[in-house]
Amino acid sequence: MQSTSKLSRSWLSNESQREAFTAYIFILPTVLGFLIFVLGPMISTFILSFTDYDLFSAPTFNGLENFERLFSDKRLGTVYRNTIVFMVFAVSGNVGGGLLLAVFLNQRLPNLLRVVLRSAYFFPSLIGLVFVSVIWQFLYHRNLGIINYYLGLIGIDPIRWLSSKQWVIPSIIILDVWKNVGFAMLICLAGLQNISSDYYDAAAVDGASAWQRFVRITLPLLSPTLFFVITMYSIGALKVFDSIVVLTNGGPGDASRSVVMYIHELGFKSFDMGYGSAVSLTLLALIAVFTLFQFRLSRIWVHYD
Amino acid sequence: MTSVAGESAATQSQSWSALASRLTKLFSTLVLIIGAIAMIGPFVWIFSSSVRPYNEAFILPPQWIPDKWEFHNYQRLLEVNVVSMPVMFKNSLWIAGLVTAGMVMTSSLSGFAFACLRFRGKNIIFWLLLSSLMVPIQATIIPLFLQMRGLGLVDTHWAITLPGLLGAFAPGIAGVFGVFLMRQFFLTLPKDLIDAARIDGAGYGLVFWRIGLPLARPTMAALGIIVFATTWNDYFLPLVFFNSTSQMTLPVGILLLREPMNSGNATILAGVTLSILPVLIVFLLGQRWIVDSFIRAGVKG
Repeated sequence: MQSTSKLSRSWLSNESQREAFTAYIFILPTVLGFLIFVLGPMISTFILSFTDYDLFSAPTFNGLENFERLFSDKRLGTVYRNTIVFMVFAVSGNVGGGLLLAVFLNQRLPNLLRVVLRSAYFFPSLIGLVFVSVIWQFLYHRNLGIINYYLGLIGIDPIRWLSSKQWVIPSIIILDVWKNVGFAMLICLAGLQNISSDYYDAAAVDGASAWQRFVRITLPLLSPTLFFVITMYSIGALKVFDSIVVLTNGGPGDASRSVVMYIHELGFKSFDMGYGSAVSLTLLALIAVFTLFQFRLSRIWVHYD
Repeated sequence: MTSVAGESAATQSQSWSALASRLTKLFSTLVLIIGAIAMIGPFVWIFSSSVRPYNEAFILPPQWIPDKWEFHNYQRLLEVNVVSMPVMFKNSLWIAGLVTAGMVMTSSLSGFAFACLRFRGKNIIFWLLLSSLMVPIQATIIPLFLQMRGLGLVDTHWAITLPGLLGAFAPGIAGVFGVFLMRQFFLTLPKDLIDAARIDGAGYGLVFWRIGLPLARPTMAALGIIVFATTWNDYFLPLVFFNSTSQMTLPVGILLLREPMNSGNATILAGVTLSILPVLIVFLLGQRWIVDSFIRAGVKG
């Protein structure tokens, strides 16, 4: 009796050892890649930010100098302000627009119309941001662009979309919403399709208006989806780079320069690797704090069944 | 008498509200169709501008359907010596293909392990990996560049394909996104299926190969499409890692074709049209399926 249980236990441990061994082999490439290319550089960012390093001579330790510089760097303030303004409006536009589109497309519609509309709104999400930015740079052109041409037809004076301080960030936001609203729509649409129609039937019996149904049923039941989209789009917006490089290259002056553009400039144009790392660290910290904050906030408004 | 009048008033108000709701629906449909035209407009514009005769690309009012078709810009695209379109195409295809293959393979393996196998440290490792979703590549690019430089990989395709093959990241998305996606799929596999195969004497490797992989094919394809598209479209990593035009991918190289808009040349329009075309064709062929893949990935990821 004892021997069988011992036997079965040893068989089990052997078995589970084999299972664990297979598992470690399976995850090995991913873990290795993570250690070398994600965790390693993260730690190096931290270490480098305490140094002065220009790529040509060996890095020297310079204590907190880079961090002191963060506080006196006026350009850093500008690039953060630009990036955060962009984030707030781009995320609102993408998520708000995506939600509206999804609610509309979720109604009873001719199937062909639904498929065509869904594809049309989604298509730009698949195309590279650089490619569409090249197109929009032409569309936005002050004299030769078709946007100002059509605005002129309804009596609006040409707008300096890409060369006036006032319009550069709105231009970049418009492009971003045009490009990304379709993906937000798609995810909201998937979320809407998971809501049971029983809720709406019950609401119809009670005589709830369309607005009431939207606020009392759709929004709460869609809140996990919305939370996911908002978090994802916010982190994405903090990385904004490609579209600005193509459209304005950060100009006029620094009026449209983003944090990542600044990091890229510090690292690969000024070769100021140490300070560039310190700035990178602020971005990492901001994303971490922001994500935690969103999770905290989500406890209040996100409703999981 | 009064009751009849009340009733007719009620039906009247009902028909009014029905009419109002129908009108709102009609109106919103109209707005949405106009919006959809705005979504597609820029693509139509670039195509029709790219095939217009020399010096007429930016003509106003815009000719949405050009009356004369000329392929001057496409011809010039092959003649310019700043960058070579075929080389860029090949580079983009090679890098995106390799990264996609690597990511799909490593993500499937890890996803299976995290979903179906028991091992020590599983949760800690998974959460550690998941934290990389919050670390954009842009924020660690400086040490990453130094690392690649140390390995002698700067200005070679390995700077992008090596992390991709190890599933660390694809340009544009964290590698763990794939692991998460595949794990979510493997979690839906019934435990009995695996146990039954185990009793038949199959090792875990065989279970993965014979049962896991065939069932996971649609999810793997969805992941593959997303990784391929983001890698094909990525600008940041090739910009940082490649200096020579012989290494460049389309998004970086295409910008070297920029000329002032009033020069009359629109070579870049031809270049961008050709860069978009493959995606357009694939999308038109598999529209429904691609949309479903993105939904699947978006909802689970």
